[in-house]
Amino acid sequence: MSPARILSRQALAGLARDRSVLILVAFFAAMVLVTAWLGWSATATVNAIYADAAAYLSGAGQPVPPNPVSTSAPLAVLRNLGVYISLIGAFGAIVIGQHLVEADRRAGTLPLIGAGPFARRDIALGKMRALVTATAAMMAVAGVIALGTLLTLPSLVVTGPDLGRLALFLLAGWAYVTTFGFLALGAAARLPATAAGLIAATVVWLVITFVLPELTANLHPTAAINPVTTLAATPDAGVFHLFSALLGPVSLAEGFAWLSGDLLGFLPEGLAPRGLVPPALALSVALVLSGLFAAQAATRLDLNAGGPDA
Amino acid sequence: MPHATPAVSTRGLSKSHGETVVLHPLSLDVPQGEVFGFLGHNGAGKTTTIRLLTTLLAPTSGSACVAGHDVTAEPLKLRAAIGYLPENVRLYDQFTARENLLFFARLSGVADPVDAVRETLEFLDITALADRRVGTFSKGMRQRVGLAQAILHDPEVLFLDEPTSGLDPMGVRQLRAVIEKLHGRGMTIFMNTHLLSEVARSCTSIGVLAHGRLVFNDSMQAVADRYDEVGLEELYAGVAAAGVAA
Repeated sequence: MSPARILSRQALAGLARDRSVLILVAFFAAMVLVTAWLGWSATATVNAIYADAAAYLSGAGQPVPPNPVSTSAPLAVLRNLGVYISLIGAFGAIVIGQHLVEADRRAGTLPLIGAGPFARRDIALGKMRALVTATAAMMAVAGVIALGTLLTLPSLVVTGPDLGRLALFLLAGWAYVTTFGFLALGAAARLPATAAGLIAATVVWLVITFVLPELTANLHPTAAINPVTTLAATPDAGVFHLFSALLGPVSLAEGFAWLSGDLLGFLPEGLAPRGLVPPALALSVALVLSGLFAAQAATRLDLNAGGPDA
Repeated sequence: MPHATPAVSTRGLSKSHGETVVLHPLSLDVPQGEVFGFLGHNGAGKTTTIRLLTTLLAPTSGSACVAGHDVTAEPLKLRAAIGYLPENVRLYDQFTARENLLFFARLSGVADPVDAVRETLEFLDITALADRRVGTFSKGMRQRVGLAQAILHDPEVLFLDEPTSGLDPMGVRQLRAVIEKLHGRGMTIFMNTHLLSEVARSCTSIGVLAHGRLVFNDSMQAVADRYDEVGLEELYAGVAAAGVAA
């Protein structure tokens, strides 16, 4: 087994035994379940109303229109999932990224790892591998719950291409949350003070989630956490068009929301993404850049720091 | 009879942080099989020296070899040949001693980690602690598990940074017994310490560092012969004061 793999396995085992990480992941899973229940409940209500209306209309000899559930995109029932990934998922990844460095620092094991017979890049690779696996596990939980919801809803016809789009949505969600995890990992490696990495990455996340949408689309924080209102068109004012063009590519929360709407089938017709860079490309570039930052910072991690007072 | 190649050898090894010189050019040889006591006041540069020798810090100038491997040219080979116990090791609280040790055994590339851990636990007489979580351990227990991780892969040179720090008298005594056993197996031990009594009992040679300068380096036999009347404490105070004056 390679040193990076050994380090990754140890880090994942540590995450699995850390109460704060477990609580966050459980909270994320619970919110995904709530999303599923909301989608299921809303669809079941529409189905019930439709059944009553159809029975009444047939009895009155009137034509029966098609069930609106069967005419809308089936994945749209998961529209709240994007919000929870963007909020709780991203914050969970930040906590995990910071924990991957801080746990070793607190345990005073960084010098022991640093005195091991392997290259410094193995330490970075091990940490990054653990992060990527942990965030993939979070998305897998979301995927299983989402799939369960789709398959148990009556009147909802889920096709192969729908499942493909769901997989792409989960991949985009993974890229989005992992970007923040990498930022936290890199920041924790760079900043030796306890929780400094967590705070730095959280500030970046807050700016991307709440400040940038305000500048590009006059979206207030409460609107920014709503899956429908966050997909607003750029207001018809010069300043918003300017900020939209300039900040659009880095406004990752908006980019992810647009991508969610597009993949899950609830994107308002004709709504263009902010800026000139397609959101999928912006997310991919952000993931690569944050990964490079994490790799560079973790390779140069001060292995002398830490101990019981850290 | 000392071997030809020293276990630890430095030539003009120094470390500075900006304008501050932490370690002045240090030239030192520690023959194989020695228990070398590295004495010095707080901030003298002892921990920095160990960090340089374990490749945790890069030297500002000079060179150093440990177990025949250069600190800058062959860091991986060097690290494969050493064991290291830092002063404030805690290990992973939520894991048992055995789980901690298995992790470090695998990381060190030990061929049979399970066997190596079992043997080391037996060697240190801490098998009873093996399946308890480290978070429940006292400082002394942690120190012994920390020592176990340092010797799991049977290193040629063992670096101990203040290994008796915070230990009660029984803990100090047990550690001394372990050092004697390791010395008996031919391991070279490089030990930073404050405790002169430990140096007198455990070490075969000593070096004294004062304000980043090596002010004394000789075998314990020579110390005993030359300073029998004044004793180790007076010797230490004398050479340290002379070093400061210089």
